Amino acid sequence: MVMGDIETGCDVLVIGGGPGGYTAAIRASQLGKDVVLVEKYDLGGTCVYRGCIPSKTLIHAANFIYDIRNPGNIGIKGSVEFDYKKIQQWRFEVVKKLKSGVMSMCRKYGVQIIKGEVSFESPGKARITLPDGTNSTYKFENAIIATGSRPQDFSGLPFDGKFVINSNEALGLMKVPEDMVITGAGYIGIELGTMFAKLGTKVSIVQRSSRILNKFDREVVEVVTQKMKKLGIEIYYNTRPQGLQVENNKAVITISDDKGKEIKLKADKILVAVGVKPNTDNMGLENTKVELSGSGFIKVDEKRQTTDPKIYAVGDAAGPPFLAHKALREGKVAAEVIAGMPSAFDNRAIPEAIFSDPEIATVGMDEESARKSGLEIKTGKFPFRASGSALTMDRTDGFVKVVAKTNGEILGIHIVGANASMLISEASHSIEMAAFLEDLAGTLHPHPTLPEALAEAAEVALGKVIHI
Amino acid sequence: MVDIKFPDVGEGITEGTLVKWLVKIGDEIKADQAVAEIETDKAIVEIPTPKGGKVSKLFGKEGDIVKVGSTLVSLALPGEEIKEEARPEVKPPAMQRVEVKPEVKPEVRPEVKTEAKPEKPPEFPPEMPSRVLATPATRRLARELGVDISDVVGSGPGGRVIDDDIKKLKEVKPEITPEALSTAAIPEIKLAEERIPIKGIRKTIGERMVKSLFTAPHVVSMDEADVTELVVLREKEKKAAEERGVKLTYLAFIVKAATVALKQHPYLNSSLDPQKNEIVLKHYYNIGIAVDTPEGLMVPVIKNADRKSIMEIAKETEELAEEARTRKIKLSDLKGNTFTITNIGSIGGLFSTPIINPPDVAILGVHRIRDMPIAINGEVKIRKILPLVLSFDHRVLDGAQAARFMNTLIEHLKDPDLLLVDVM
Repeated sequence: MVMGDIETGCDVLVIGGGPGGYTAAIRASQLGKDVVLVEKYDLGGTCVYRGCIPSKTLIHAANFIYDIRNPGNIGIKGSVEFDYKKIQQWRFEVVKKLKSGVMSMCRKYGVQIIKGEVSFESPGKARITLPDGTNSTYKFENAIIATGSRPQDFSGLPFDGKFVINSNEALGLMKVPEDMVITGAGYIGIELGTMFAKLGTKVSIVQRSSRILNKFDREVVEVVTQKMKKLGIEIYYNTRPQGLQVENNKAVITISDDKGKEIKLKADKILVAVGVKPNTDNMGLENTKVELSGSGFIKVDEKRQTTDPKIYAVGDAAGPPFLAHKALREGKVAAEVIAGMPSAFDNRAIPEAIFSDPEIATVGMDEESARKSGLEIKTGKFPFRASGSALTMDRTDGFVKVVAKTNGEILGIHIVGANASMLISEASHSIEMAAFLEDLAGTLHPHPTLPEALAEAAEVALGKVIHI
Repeated sequence: MVDIKFPDVGEGITEGTLVKWLVKIGDEIKADQAVAEIETDKAIVEIPTPKGGKVSKLFGKEGDIVKVGSTLVSLALPGEEIKEEARPEVKPPAMQRVEVKPEVKPEVRPEVKTEAKPEKPPEFPPEMPSRVLATPATRRLARELGVDISDVVGSGPGGRVIDDDIKKLKEVKPEITPEALSTAAIPEIKLAEERIPIKGIRKTIGERMVKSLFTAPHVVSMDEADVTELVVLREKEKKAAEERGVKLTYLAFIVKAATVALKQHPYLNSSLDPQKNEIVLKHYYNIGIAVDTPEGLMVPVIKNADRKSIMEIAKETEELAEEARTRKIKLSDLKGNTFTITNIGSIGGLFSTPIINPPDVAILGVHRIRDMPIAINGEVKIRKILPLVLSFDHRVLDGAQAARFMNTLIEHLKDPDLLLVDVM
């Protein structure tokens, strides 16, 4: 391919151009490796096209509209109209900018980008099939699999793209539906349900268990549940979808509760958001020594090395949690390990943010799991209604809760409230730096700002709070 | 049991060749005694052991490539019994070899096992892989020095592990610090230098040129062609070509003349198959054109150049060169060359000695056409002279064959009518 081509090969073959893949490719290139990045569609992955970015763009617009319509006690009056098609166009612009940003970063750092699909032929060799159907074989020293995941379908409600849609299709709707049924009350169901409700959709959520956002702190989730009720979102707990019919161009879904009682719900769209499955099939992994878990995720160690010593895996394909920031770091770790550096995915905790109303952001252990694991703990909770900054914004819903060992070692921080997603990084940093309650309480926080609530919560846990 | 690892010796070195074991299994060794000699691309270094004990296992054999951080020797500490196979063998990737154990039938494809096996790696890393109380920088230091941080008792507040705890445990002695191991003890003087990492195309070109030059014995033959008439012809047709949107270059004529000459001298259009010890004569004529791009030299290939008109060749060359410069070129357009032409003349230089572009056996260098005084029939005339250079692989070709090829090429460049006749 260049002067002196004998056979095509590279030091590092990266498969998948999402957050895990492109960071791995750039870092490996920065460390002097000859890197080829193969992506089936466009650089950016689920995050840029089907996940984080499109959803946050639309959620921002929905919040904007909602806030103008609901100024609360502030004394602002006005009405607002919106053109959803134009909002979508703006979203496409944002996506386009990010895509070209990723592309130019890859170019800047000398990553060779190939559009195509990869299939392993042996532990050191892979076939790349280009969109025009031509193949070429690549030898590699190391490969990094970053192929991500795709929405999991729900048996009985197969995706048809018309009535039964996945999160990607819901984000792509060019018209706000009149009514929508969402099965699954994980973060995708909650975020999109809230967003559509704010845009005027009548939203119903069908949830298997007796609560939403199962894995998060109950008190935290309760604040969001209250707000959803206020937004007119109907949540059907302990229910399961039973069947689907189409009547007068509307989907009619039958759900039943644990006592067998049946309810029929009519909707333009049924959004199935019950999880994801890994993209680890049809890529010739059987020709390598890579082992998969029962659910199809690639088994990796702390270095993100698979059971095949030449091959690494990062991001969703390497298992939960399915978060872009986890993939971003894993990509760097794998690239650095390949370059001989002593890196490892050794984070003490992985933060998560949910763009619900109000936002939820958590990092580390919650109170329940800390107690269950037999740790002696203390907690400190600081409500935003006691925060000067929250009062100035009329956003007093929610709180910060700190979980610490009795000796003060911080185990987890859980935030529900306005801008929680922006507040969590200090909490992550504290845990990563092995901070104690005194460290957090003794750090100066500018006044009046929302992050003060973190220091206040630490003071509550230390039993010496002033503001409540 | 203690593992002695290949430490980071600095200078960006990530691997080395295990030159010699200085100990053998069962040896009683003392702290600081060297266990192995490893050659990096800077120097040969001796790797000392930080602790004394009895050698229980050596990882890899002499000549193996070992990565920084990989285990070299397992040491039983005084009082410890050496148990064979006492611990799972963790081999560094570079030394991994396929071992077929007798109970495993080699023809059976490995299946995804459903039963949970206790061995590493875990299915998913737990959310908090380390409950160790230490900052990211300290955790990294531990890995760098090969210390298992979960064994370290922290002296910081609340038992936090601090850097000193790790260093103390490791008892890093100054004489075995990475700095001391590095023989390149050149005092650091700030010179007006800039360091550009070699990677991507630059790296590939380097590796492959080394392979070509040190595999094929290169012979260079130089000659010149009187192209006065070709210059007249090209000047005449340039306008007509322009009207058709084509920049008619001398290179297009040279490509065409080369295909004619290659047909008459088939060994120039061949490659060497060293495995089978055969010369492969190719009855298709795919001419690679070396193109200078911002990232380095790339070689787009004009496929079946013998079947294309000079105009078509000119057009295709221009298009492919542009695609190469903007990196939009398809992989398939960079493959399959049977002979390569490098046109240095467009930039400068009198003569050059190009390196053969594998799998070709010869490369033609084309230089700048100049007005030169030439003696014709006892009179000095000013003629247009094109210097030509042919590098060829002496394993396949001899000087005589190369000279005959050059003669045919020159004949056709000198007399464009002949080129026309031969193309017909």
